Amino acid sequence: MDNECARVRAHTLIMDTSLSLAQTPTSWRGSLVRRIREFRLLARDPALFVGVLVAGAFILAFILLPLVRVITQGFFTPAGEFSLQYFARYFEPGYARVYWEILGWTLQMGVLTALGSTTLGFIFAYTVVRCNIPFKGLVHALALLPTISPPFAIALSAILLFGRAGLVTRDILRMRFGPGINDIYGLDGIIFCQIITFFAIAYLILRGLLERIDPSMEEAALSLGASKWRIFRTVTLPLLTPGIAAAFLLMFVESLADLGNPILIGGNITVLSTQIWIAISGEHDLQKGAALSLVLLLPTLTVFILQRYWVSRRSYIAVTGKPTSGAATFVKEPIVRWTFIAFTTLVLLLIIALYITIFVGSITKLWGINNTLDLTHYEAVFKRGLEAILSTTFLSALATPLAGVAGVVIAFLVVRKTFSGKEAVDFMSNLGGAVPGTILGIGYILAFIRAPMFVVAIIYAALAFFFISAVSPKASLRWLVFGVGSFLGIAMAWLSYDAKMRDSVAWNYLSGGLTWLPTLQQTQWLFIAAGILSALALASLVFVEDKAKRRVFILLCFMALYLLSRELILFITDPLAIWGRRMGGSYLPAVITSIAAWINLVFQPPLAVLGFTYTVLGGFIVGMWGARTRVAAAIFLLAVCCALTFYGEPLALVGSAYIVVAAYTVRSLPATVRASIASLQQIDPAIEEASTSLGGDAQHTFRRVTLPLILPAFIAGLIFSFTRHMTSLSAIIFLTSPKWPILTALILSEVEQGGLSLAAAYSVVLIAIVLTAIGLLYFWAGRTFRANWETTLGGG
Amino acid sequence: MYLTLEHITKKFPGRGQEGLVTAVDDVSLAIGKGEFFTLLGPSGCGKTTMLRLIAGFEFPTSGRIALDERQLEQVPPNKRDMAMVFQSYAIFPHLTVFENIAYGLRIKKLSQDEVRRRVAQIMTQTKLTGLENRMPNQMSGGQQQRVSLARALVVEPKVLLFDEPLSNLDAKLREEMRFEIRDLQRRLNITSIYVTHDQEEALALSDRIAIMNKGKLAQLGTPEEIYELPRSKFVADFIGLANFLPAQAQSVQDGWASVQVGAHALRVTALPHDAAQQSALIFIRPGDIKIADENAVENILTGQIVKATYLGEKIDYRVQVDETELRVQTSDAKRRAVGEIVRLYLPPERARLIGEA
Repeated sequence: MDNECARVRAHTLIMDTSLSLAQTPTSWRGSLVRRIREFRLLARDPALFVGVLVAGAFILAFILLPLVRVITQGFFTPAGEFSLQYFARYFEPGYARVYWEILGWTLQMGVLTALGSTTLGFIFAYTVVRCNIPFKGLVHALALLPTISPPFAIALSAILLFGRAGLVTRDILRMRFGPGINDIYGLDGIIFCQIITFFAIAYLILRGLLERIDPSMEEAALSLGASKWRIFRTVTLPLLTPGIAAAFLLMFVESLADLGNPILIGGNITVLSTQIWIAISGEHDLQKGAALSLVLLLPTLTVFILQRYWVSRRSYIAVTGKPTSGAATFVKEPIVRWTFIAFTTLVLLLIIALYITIFVGSITKLWGINNTLDLTHYEAVFKRGLEAILSTTFLSALATPLAGVAGVVIAFLVVRKTFSGKEAVDFMSNLGGAVPGTILGIGYILAFIRAPMFVVAIIYAALAFFFISAVSPKASLRWLVFGVGSFLGIAMAWLSYDAKMRDSVAWNYLSGGLTWLPTLQQTQWLFIAAGILSALALASLVFVEDKAKRRVFILLCFMALYLLSRELILFITDPLAIWGRRMGGSYLPAVITSIAAWINLVFQPPLAVLGFTYTVLGGFIVGMWGARTRVAAAIFLLAVCCALTFYGEPLALVGSAYIVVAAYTVRSLPATVRASIASLQQIDPAIEEASTSLGGDAQHTFRRVTLPLILPAFIAGLIFSFTRHMTSLSAIIFLTSPKWPILTALILSEVEQGGLSLAAAYSVVLIAIVLTAIGLLYFWAGRTFRANWETTLGGG
Repeated sequence: MYLTLEHITKKFPGRGQEGLVTAVDDVSLAIGKGEFFTLLGPSGCGKTTMLRLIAGFEFPTSGRIALDERQLEQVPPNKRDMAMVFQSYAIFPHLTVFENIAYGLRIKKLSQDEVRRRVAQIMTQTKLTGLENRMPNQMSGGQQQRVSLARALVVEPKVLLFDEPLSNLDAKLREEMRFEIRDLQRRLNITSIYVTHDQEEALALSDRIAIMNKGKLAQLGTPEEIYELPRSKFVADFIGLANFLPAQAQSVQDGWASVQVGAHALRVTALPHDAAQQSALIFIRPGDIKIADENAVENILTGQIVKATYLGEKIDYRVQVDETELRVQTSDAKRRAVGEIVRLYLPPERARLIGEA
């Protein structure tokens, strides 16, 4: 009850602060004061506050920080000196020609791919919606096939079919490729592959729009005496223009960001994305990679902003929102209809041929030379690649619910709540998936190779703010807890630092007095932290009111136990791995060691992440703690949380599996956010208010009303996320480690070593995993996901 | 009084440069137990905001709300013991009719038997029996409206709130539901607050009506008072049809005023606070004006018919009197042609001086 009141008060006050601002003339100082005040008031609505904080922290650490690091790194040498070296190359005589040529090819590729795939997408959409093509479902499914396959699948089979030893080019057309003869490798090859790979998204966007055009508008034009062609030109096309522009821009960005196709089929042509890839993987020059990334980022970002703030506002159709249920209008002129149908069918046949080729290629001994069928490639795949298959699937699956939940939370905040920075949260959550994956990957290396202390400190401070807001209404007591708790925590973290780390930490001078503290082993240290938590758990039996006693005790015990489990679990997983390695057979050892690694992964999250989580949980615990000993308990609890946060090198994640999980999550976040936003916006707020007015609190309402209603979109988001994780290449190519190999990166290296058939076998396995997962989720979700599948993909 | 609102003001941050928008401006109301109270007004007058303030979905910028001696400003909507019937029905689309109605009872953690008993009872009262297992999308608008009503009634709230519940129904069904709502409310004696922009609905349903305009309370009274004695041009214009005739008030005395309209002198009703003034306004309903015969002399205006519309039981004339076009509705069987000059009789007890505001 007490809590409820506080929440309501907070609500009212927030409204009022935002009002008082409107009255005063806006100055940056006034606005800053207001933000801080609002932030403080926000703390009284715990659910909203934690939601905003966690979303904000995630976005700050895994989207904003990496991007900022990429942008700045381009201007600094590894030694830290300011340098425009790589930007200057565009004007240096020795380099300029090559650099401009690459830029020229890149833009040419982007524009032509965008043109081609938008046109193809339109033709498909028009054929499906207006030409009454038979087997509509099949057409739809086939058109979407490229979106669920690895990014270079098309390039792979294009080489098998049309390459120098290609089935069509050599065996059917009997072409001989000497020097100077145009082959599939090169810009035309890239564009061909990209068009096939990306047009499905344009198709989905335009199909959605075409379906929503009210037939009565065209009928109105017809009744006014317009001819069919005139109607198309003056009514249909203008209504589609925003969609066409959106599709074009999206295709342009996708093309520029694409890494797989240019690497595979680019031949002598280098585009920006491959140039960056070479700079990082081949030359190990992070500055060059970052500088070129900025060049790539500029057009991408421009298009992203253009799309978001200009094109989307120009849409006429989205305004009415409702898909018309009325009878669709079909093209009646047989010539037009059959031309469209014939063209679509031809493209579909091509797609089918490309995919059959991948499959046939995977079971052919040596493509083009020895065409006997056998399964040796699959044997090799499971022998050499089993670990990659297992770890990719596991990490993708692990990131899937994360992206889904994060998407729902962000969408809920954006659609239903009012707070400063809402627009920024919305924008940033989309940005992480919109920038080219290579850029994000480089950003992750730059951001997480060392501990990003600054960002960790900011996130800690924000969460600690939530923590102390539960302590007492008196500001002095709150700051006392914050100061003493954080100091004790840092002192405790200091115990984990070795001499080198102590030297490098920026607040060395602040903690100068602490240098005498001995360095502790991780195990010892964890026992101390868990000991404090256990002591607090025991104390809670005495000092917490009866009503909340059980909850607080169990929570604290769980926190202590989970902390220890990262050590204890090794007693299970180590023997398991050793036992597994001794097992005979070619597959079993890999499977068992992988399982051991997965278990470790679940029990050993980065301590900083644990520290953040415990700080939030601690806020709730302190709120339930008895008033008399609350301050003391809060100090100790915050100290442990702070110590965990700053233990060792917080968030130095490069080389770990978590960085891959984070990259996956960020990449699929826009889709889950957008799917959830779309479905939340369709839910009348009155439905939630009805639940509230009948006595349901916020939590009850969300669980019983909102969640069931957005479930279909949520599941569609999960399916899309998993697919995107499994098939993503550019974002994780720099993040894989020997311990956590990733399938797409592995396929790429197989191709480079010339094993086209082996790469094809890998691709088939990957597509099979994705299809199985979709099938499973589809089975689980019943028929619900179909309708939402398109909204999810459509946004791109 | 049961539910009291004192000096309620609600301001919203405006869009862009607008600053603050005042949605409700210093409104005080006191509503009795079991009363059917209606907030009536044009869209944007603040009536829905008022309702949402009472429900707790919005919190007043200033002012106090109390229900049954309990202060409500700090109480969230789910703890207010009120239930709302929404314009869009707001039925949970993923739950059956039974589960929709049982929703509030389950939150109260009633036993399964009790839930079943009470749901069955309310379903009988709202004529929904037999539809227990239907999904909302398998029902007509009227049925959905009943479910929405049943869902709110079943929790036996202290106050029942209606937000234009009938505006999505067709005219005939609307009238039918109107009676049902009134009937149920009387029978269960639930204090009800009803928001609508439909004056006919307000007149038919309410014990008392509060007319709102631009966030302010324009007039408060029983349906008869509001219709018969509108205190301002706004209220008179909003409720029913009204003619306004610019005039000069010559003298005011004993509840009567002598006024001059162009060349005609008239006698009309005056309220105590009315005074003689240069420019006044005469208010009369179109049905109260009679078309007089040749020999009537008192309270007569002369004008020319510019338009005649046949409405079935009555005929609607537009009559040009000097600069003003008067609307006259008569059930007089004799039809008059456009262009005809007619003499209009304004009964002194039906024509009134009225304030401009």
